[in-house]
Amino acid sequence: MSTSPSVLVIGGGSTGTGIARDLAMRGLDVTLVEKGNLTHGTTGRMHGLLHSGGRYAVSDQASAKECIVENRVLRRIAGHCVEMTGGLFVQRPEDSDEYFEKKLEGCRECGIPVEVLSAEEAREQEPYLAKDIKRAIRVPDGAIDPFRLCVANAASAVEHGARIETHSEVTDVLVEDGEVVGVEVTHKSGTGPYVHGNPGEVEEIRADYVVNATGAWAGQIGDLAGVDVEVRPSKGVMTIMNTRQVDTVVNRCRPKGDADIIVPHETTCILGTTDEEVEDPEDYPEEGWEVDLMIDTLSELVPMLKDARTIRSFWGVRPLYEPPGTGTEDPTDITREFFLLDHADRDDLPGMTSIVGGKLTTYRMMAEKISDHVCEKVGVDAECRTADVPLPGSEDFSVLRDYMDDFGLRSPIGRRSVQRLGSRADDVLTSVDPNPVVCECEAVTRAEIQDSLDTAGTDLNSVRIQTRASMGNCQGAICCHRMATELAPEYDEDVVRASLDDLYQERWKGERHGMWGEQLSQAALKHMLHATTMNRDSDPAATESGVDFAAFDDGAVADGDRDAHAVSEVNDGDY
Amino acid sequence: MSDAETPPDTTPTPGEQGEDDFEPVEVFPESTEMDLRPGADNCYKCTSCDVSCPVAEVDDEFPGPKFQGPEQWRLKRKEDASVDDSIMSCSNCMRCDDACPSGVPLSQMHNTARGEYVDEEMDKLSREYIRNRILANYGTLAELGSMFPRLTNAIMGNSLVQQINEKVLGITAEREFPDFATQTFREWWNERGGPQVRSEDKRVAYFHGCYSNYNTPEVGKAMVRVFEEFGYEVVVPKQRCSGTPMFANGMLDDAKRAAGINAENFAGLIPEGYDIIASCTSCSMSLRQEYPELFDIDGLEDISEHTYEAMEYLRIHEDLDSALADTSVSEQSFAYHAPCHARNQGLDRQAVELFRDLDGVTIEDVGDSCSGISGTYGWKEEKYDKSMQIGADMFDHMEHADGNVGMTECPTCSMQMEHGTGYDIKHPLQLLEEALV
Repeated sequence: MSTSPSVLVIGGGSTGTGIARDLAMRGLDVTLVEKGNLTHGTTGRMHGLLHSGGRYAVSDQASAKECIVENRVLRRIAGHCVEMTGGLFVQRPEDSDEYFEKKLEGCRECGIPVEVLSAEEAREQEPYLAKDIKRAIRVPDGAIDPFRLCVANAASAVEHGARIETHSEVTDVLVEDGEVVGVEVTHKSGTGPYVHGNPGEVEEIRADYVVNATGAWAGQIGDLAGVDVEVRPSKGVMTIMNTRQVDTVVNRCRPKGDADIIVPHETTCILGTTDEEVEDPEDYPEEGWEVDLMIDTLSELVPMLKDARTIRSFWGVRPLYEPPGTGTEDPTDITREFFLLDHADRDDLPGMTSIVGGKLTTYRMMAEKISDHVCEKVGVDAECRTADVPLPGSEDFSVLRDYMDDFGLRSPIGRRSVQRLGSRADDVLTSVDPNPVVCECEAVTRAEIQDSLDTAGTDLNSVRIQTRASMGNCQGAICCHRMATELAPEYDEDVVRASLDDLYQERWKGERHGMWGEQLSQAALKHMLHATTMNRDSDPAATESGVDFAAFDDGAVADGDRDAHAVSEVNDGDY
Repeated sequence: MSDAETPPDTTPTPGEQGEDDFEPVEVFPESTEMDLRPGADNCYKCTSCDVSCPVAEVDDEFPGPKFQGPEQWRLKRKEDASVDDSIMSCSNCMRCDDACPSGVPLSQMHNTARGEYVDEEMDKLSREYIRNRILANYGTLAELGSMFPRLTNAIMGNSLVQQINEKVLGITAEREFPDFATQTFREWWNERGGPQVRSEDKRVAYFHGCYSNYNTPEVGKAMVRVFEEFGYEVVVPKQRCSGTPMFANGMLDDAKRAAGINAENFAGLIPEGYDIIASCTSCSMSLRQEYPELFDIDGLEDISEHTYEAMEYLRIHEDLDSALADTSVSEQSFAYHAPCHARNQGLDRQAVELFRDLDGVTIEDVGDSCSGISGTYGWKEEKYDKSMQIGADMFDHMEHADGNVGMTECPTCSMQMEHGTGYDIKHPLQLLEEALV
């Protein structure tokens, strides 16, 4: 039995996993619960920008300064999640000179390294920028993979003894004698990795302290505890392009507005975004005009976007918060700072703190602040080490880049694999033989899929976010079922089928917002492939009666040796 | 700054896109960099290209055109200098271009990737590089060899020399080196005093290429005689290799130099009413498609629009059917093979359609398989066996055809046909000459 104080963290996003890692490294007994898979909420639905702080350099300098500090920290501790693309603030002829100067000055005041580029210099770096741009400011923006980042934080927390339970929804907050003492959790499939088809169970988890890191859902957890947490969820659309039209983060250099950023992310570009307050973080309209707005407005910066292929769109919900009584009308004016709400001080309910606001780039700093706070509450005196110790996968990553040819993979496949796995590449890529490519669009091999299954259980969406398999232009047309196949023979056919269905449907959720041009052809081909080869349009296996698989020819060759069989076929001559 | 002023139809699918569309080729004219990542947009991964690829069919190590093209380009980042080495196994037959239902510029992607691979990753002192450079520059080699054709033929035909070629250079000893003619086409042309017919409105400039100049001048002569018979003024400008073997070996600098010389000598004739005629379908393919896709040189667009294969041109402008209806030739029967590059230009049925009603002739199409030699591919020691495996269908169909003379437009297909069956091989222009002149 552990003697260290126990902390329960609700929410498996960047903040929650960051807190879990920080507290576990300080020796606390940490349990994290998440109702979906990791990044299920806002973290998995952002544009993947590693802020330099430039975006806030005029309007919110406190945030800007935090960003540039954490930008440098993340490059150090999370190298395998970050691509330092650099960023540009691009001024078009109609954008004001005054604001350009303010941006430049603001960046300098916040300690953000800047350089002014002429239009020619900017276009030399990014040839597809509009011909009539005026000039640009170069800043150290980057791209960050929020999925990999959360998974690495969770893995580190587990290494330090934490327990991570995904697919486990908090259904009650336990309050005894005016104090929060734990939560009631409903597991979708029992404890441990998620397995489709297993019955769930309810568990009471008691803890010395509870941290509500559910972001836009913080109000709902607050309700369970009987306190008001006034988050103001604000939705934003992001549209994913098929290829990288730009290799640098491109921002529009003008005061806040919709559709003003393009982030190169892995094989794609992500266009963002809008800012509109919603009532419920899980139920809000996803509208076509929002996608159109992205493409129309951002093609002023990069004209080829107008005709380029869109692969899907998704919406995220910001966990914006402002102290009661501030009364800001427009959500774009609400601060991006984060707030630590100790319910003991605020609502006279000890034992729980909520954290709201903030942004991914500063997740580690937020986690550090709240961990300090928790340690103080539970009487632990320990230093934060998360800024110095690299995340799993980011140790000695630079050395490994030189050895990527050794994995027997074709050049771009090896490169992308090593970029995703970082220092784990050697262990993972040599673990499976043969190691064919499963997802062709994103160059994901079987070894990576198998590795991700260790923590994913049967949740193929968790495999997806860990590996990027099925996130490319065919949206799983060629690989969904190959991924599901990797679950066999460990899991039975009905479980595999349920997992496949979940992944297929999740892909479709975002695909349906891009149904024109090549992506429409793509979707039609995907549907036909799956309908005609897997009966997706009228699935007898979905009729409850089951399929007698034993009645099918399993393809096995009598002598068990395919090559010998093939040779004998040739020798047999005509038939 | 006048950047991004690329010619309008360098887009991957000419005619399908408007003027405002992206320009995937050479965003900066002075730069040699190309960014074909946006071309990957058109691919929806149907895999038709892989199914059509003759190399993938016999070579399990070869990942196929879909990977080589749209996948590899999409996975690339701007700074990546790592084109996969499997690109060197693509034979550049260009069947994938034809197979794609969605206008992906596959061969352009392959050619560009191969150029990048050779430039940045191939050791310039390696045996493979030196061998490929020699094969790609066959025209230069042939120019030297043709100075003393009998001596060269004797040397190249010597089996010891062939063994040395294989061991030292990696050029297969299985194949007989083609004989050089004792008089090149150009020597013959100069000797006869150039054009025998002058015309103001029927004018063609002949792109003979290397092979009909140095090895089979009878094809070039047939072309001249047939066209003059129809009243055309034929001119034969100075020229270099069309670039086909250079593209196939990633020697884009060599190809660009040659294209520049060809542009200089041919583009100026177009405003004077000349169209450009080739007797080799790979030469016409190169001038039509690869030049504008790969190079930004003045005049290439014009050349592309005014280039035709010889018989194609006559079928458009003359009533060949009537001309052939009134004539006959001695009894002969042919096993005809359509080269891949002819197929891509829509010319794969023209010889059969033209000659099947000609008195005295039996002609049979031996099917749509690739001959397997693909220019220099089948000359490489390590590719020879695969080349013969690819050609097996064609050999088989030739054996089963009535004719025991082969017919094709492509010089290297004809080498392969001869090598695999022992048949004599004729060019359609030679039969046309026999019938009409």
